[in-house]
Amino acid sequence: MKLILGVSNASFQVGDQHILHGVDFKIGRGQIVGVLGASGCGKTSLLNLIAGITRPTSGIVSVNYDGQEEIEVKEPGPDRGIVYQAYGLYPFLTSLENVALGPKLHLTTIPRRMWGRVTGSWRRMRREHLKHAEELLVRFGLGDAVRKYPHELSGGMRQRVAIAQALIMHPQILLLDEPFGALDEATREDLQRMLLVLYEENIQAVGQGKPAPHTILLVTHAISEAIFVGDRVMGLSRYWNWEEQGFSSCPGATVVYDKVAPVFKPTDSADFEKFSGQKNEIARLVFGGNVNVRPQDHCTFWSQVHANHGHGVTRDA
Amino acid sequence: MTTKRFLLFRCLTGIRVPISRKATWAIGTSSILLLLVLYTWLSIHQHKINSTDTTIPTWMQMGEGISKAFAAQLRTGDRWIIEDVLATFSRLGFGLGIGVFIAFALGMSMGVWRWMEAFFLPILSLFAKIPPTAMMAVFFTLFGTELKMYGAIIAFGVIPTLAQTIYLGLKDIAPERIDKARTLGASTTEIIFWIMFPQILPKLLDAIRLQIGPAMVFLIAAEVLVGDVGFGYRIRLQSRLLNMNVVYPYLAYLALFGFGMDTGMQWIQRKLCPWYVKGGA
Repeated sequence: MKLILGVSNASFQVGDQHILHGVDFKIGRGQIVGVLGASGCGKTSLLNLIAGITRPTSGIVSVNYDGQEEIEVKEPGPDRGIVYQAYGLYPFLTSLENVALGPKLHLTTIPRRMWGRVTGSWRRMRREHLKHAEELLVRFGLGDAVRKYPHELSGGMRQRVAIAQALIMHPQILLLDEPFGALDEATREDLQRMLLVLYEENIQAVGQGKPAPHTILLVTHAISEAIFVGDRVMGLSRYWNWEEQGFSSCPGATVVYDKVAPVFKPTDSADFEKFSGQKNEIARLVFGGNVNVRPQDHCTFWSQVHANHGHGVTRDA
Repeated sequence: MTTKRFLLFRCLTGIRVPISRKATWAIGTSSILLLLVLYTWLSIHQHKINSTDTTIPTWMQMGEGISKAFAAQLRTGDRWIIEDVLATFSRLGFGLGIGVFIAFALGMSMGVWRWMEAFFLPILSLFAKIPPTAMMAVFFTLFGTELKMYGAIIAFGVIPTLAQTIYLGLKDIAPERIDKARTLGASTTEIIFWIMFPQILPKLLDAIRLQIGPAMVFLIAAEVLVGDVGFGYRIRLQSRLLNMNVVYPYLAYLALFGFGMDTGMQWIQRKLCPWYVKGGA
């Protein structure tokens, strides 16, 4: 498995507020990583660092898409798509236009569009964008909603549009910031299964010797969701053994848990009994709040993978 | 109580109980009719007291006043209404045009760049507190009594509200919408004009619509004071001669113009921002 994202000893603070400290992990291409943590522990800050929306106070966030050169993340780019809990859709665009916005902004410039209107090339290009966007919406079960504005859609439909809007850019990494937090249980499970479909596409691609198309970081505070959707679960917490490391106050949240998770197929039932042990462990270590967790004891993902305990795309790493 | 009577009772006494479109039109029309009936009664009553009265003219006298405004003047051949419409509305268009342009540039700059916000916000807040009519003396001195002066008064009056509407609208845009645009490959210019501007456009159109009224107030006030042509000038002159049969129709023209502009701006908003009219935000 090729590594696609590296966060090396990254810390982040705003003014006197220490948010993240010494966050260090690598992610392989094709993984779906569930990032868990209590509210306000810095999950969104971590996602913003990876997206390039903010820069770490110290440490480096880097990406490596061709397996050769590591590139430091300095600003947002279309290689890292993001989906927010509040959807982030543009109210003045229909579903179709929202999804087709990325290709318009990324693949063309203002002068090119203006000149293209004169020559007619813009209309041809735009037709292609819209066709591609419509195909994606149909694939996500939104064929009837292409002409509707975001406020005319249900929460689940809006989130599908938001995911399609990000996926049309073919991002190397897709960042999901509590995307299903505001949805009802049935819609939430429906969208979780949609992510499992994407994961299945990854497994098929790897099986055919092709690069996996979707690498996803799913930030959530729902343990079951992280385990059900992800092939790996990471936990961020402010409760770790920072006193032993010589700090007088918490220097920020860090990764206290990083282990493989079982892989489910989109058609599998969400049998929570199967992962109740892992769920209890995460609840105690990541959400416990009263234990001095030693991160090195519970961040064993890569040793598990090397011991062939990985699932899905990590199995043959 | 029968169902019909019960529904009528509910409509009359219930809080915001919906009524049919037909009923809305009927009630609205009856309010205008009531006004006309009241005026007619008042006019008849006044003419019983003084048959030569011109302060509350009869409908006949009103017709003469309207004809007077539309007729070619014996000495010059000009028609008041054409002269006044051209003068007043060119001044209004000029002033509003300048005002909207400057407010747009200011509001957009303040909403996009923090340093512009820090620079212009105190000035704007200060100027917003000065009544534009109080600034007339300054503008008379600076620009005389020509078109520029009227433009300056209107612009001064509408800029603070319009600029702050744009600025606050931009400030309200959720940061994630901007961050997302950056992940979709948008440049700074594209974010400003393709992402931020469309979101505040309906509010800007609303603000312009609401500022037409105050702009007319500033303009008419200036015309009353120093105008030699225009609605304000004509109303002042004719009211001094107690020719209210000319004044009242002029006020009605202003009301009709305001209604027309309002409807026009709403039509533009429906065409440019269908999403907003449908309830999006």
